[in-house]
Amino acid sequence: MTTNIVSMPRPHDLLWGMTAEQLAADAPAWAHAALRRYAPVVVRRAPAEPGWIAVGIRGQAREQRFATWMRLDAIRRQVSPEAIVRAGRWHAHARPQWPALRALAQVAPRLAECGLAWGVTGSLGFELASGLPAVHPASDLDLLLRAPQPVSRAWAQALCAQLDGAPGRIDVQLETPCGALALREWAKGAARVLLKTASGPLLVGDPWAAARQAVA
Amino acid sequence: METLSFEFPAGQPAQGRALVGCVGSGDLEVLLEPGSVGSLTIQVVTSVNGSAARWQQVFERMFRAQSLPALNISIHDFGATPGVVRLRLEQGLEELSHA
Repeated sequence: MTTNIVSMPRPHDLLWGMTAEQLAADAPAWAHAALRRYAPVVVRRAPAEPGWIAVGIRGQAREQRFATWMRLDAIRRQVSPEAIVRAGRWHAHARPQWPALRALAQVAPRLAECGLAWGVTGSLGFELASGLPAVHPASDLDLLLRAPQPVSRAWAQALCAQLDGAPGRIDVQLETPCGALALREWAKGAARVLLKTASGPLLVGDPWAAARQAVA
Repeated sequence: METLSFEFPAGQPAQGRALVGCVGSGDLEVLLEPGSVGSLTIQVVTSVNGSAARWQQVFERMFRAQSLPALNISIHDFGATPGVVRLRLEQGLEELSHA
C-alpha cells in the first residue's frame, strides 16, 4: 500500500483523504456533510493507535467540532501551518479589512524575522488552505511558533508587545518538543504554565522539560 | 455567548485574590476573590452554548473531595476542555494559598 505522508502529521496540520464512509455512523450529520464537501480534518493533540492519528472535523458553526481518528494510509494531502503562510494566499483574500486579515498583514513581516518557523492555524488557516469559508469578522488570528529550543520570557514579552499593537486579537501558541503553550502566558511570568501535551494538559514550570517534570 | 451561575457550600472567606489563565482558544481566565461566609459562587461566561451540565459536573467532581474557602469565582471561557478547566481552577486555588 502506498501512502502520501511526507512526514508524520503534527497538531494543527490539515489532512485530506478522510471520507464520510470512514466516519462512525453515530457521528453528527454535519460531520458527515463536512467530509462530503471534501473538507480537510485538523490534527489534534491526542493519543492514537499505531497507524492512526487523532483529528478533528470542523463544522460551519463554532461549536461544531467532532473528535475522531483517521488512518494514516488514508492521507492524500497534508498541509502544515507554515505551508499556508508560504502559499501567501491571504494577500488575495476577499475581505482584507477583517481584523484577522489586517492583523496577519501587519505581523507577518515581524514574524518572518523572529528566527522561528511560524504558521497560521484556526479558522483562517483552514479557510486559506481549503477555500472553504470559516473566517468571520470577529475571528481571532491563531498562529503557531515552533520553538524547539527554549525561548526566554523577555523574548516572549517583546514579541507580545509588538503583537498587541495589531488590529485584531492574536492567539500565538508556542510549540515546544513537549507540547504547546500560549506565548502570552509564557510572557506573563506565572510560576507554572499550562502545557497542552498529547496525553492531556499539564501545569509545568519549564515547558521545554515537561516530560521530565510530569513524572515528579 | 452564555452566562452561567453556580453556587456551592464553602467555609470562611478566602484571603487575597488570584488571576490565572489566558484569553485564547481552548483556554480560560479565572479570577478568584474572597466571597461571603459559607458560599462559593461561580459565574461562567462561555463562548460555548449549551454547556451548563458539563460545567456543573466539573465543579461537583472538584469540590466534592475538598472543602473550600468562601470565594467568588469568575470564569471567562474560550472553549476549554474539562481537563484544562480543572487545572486552571487548581492553579488559582494554589496561588490563593500562597497569596
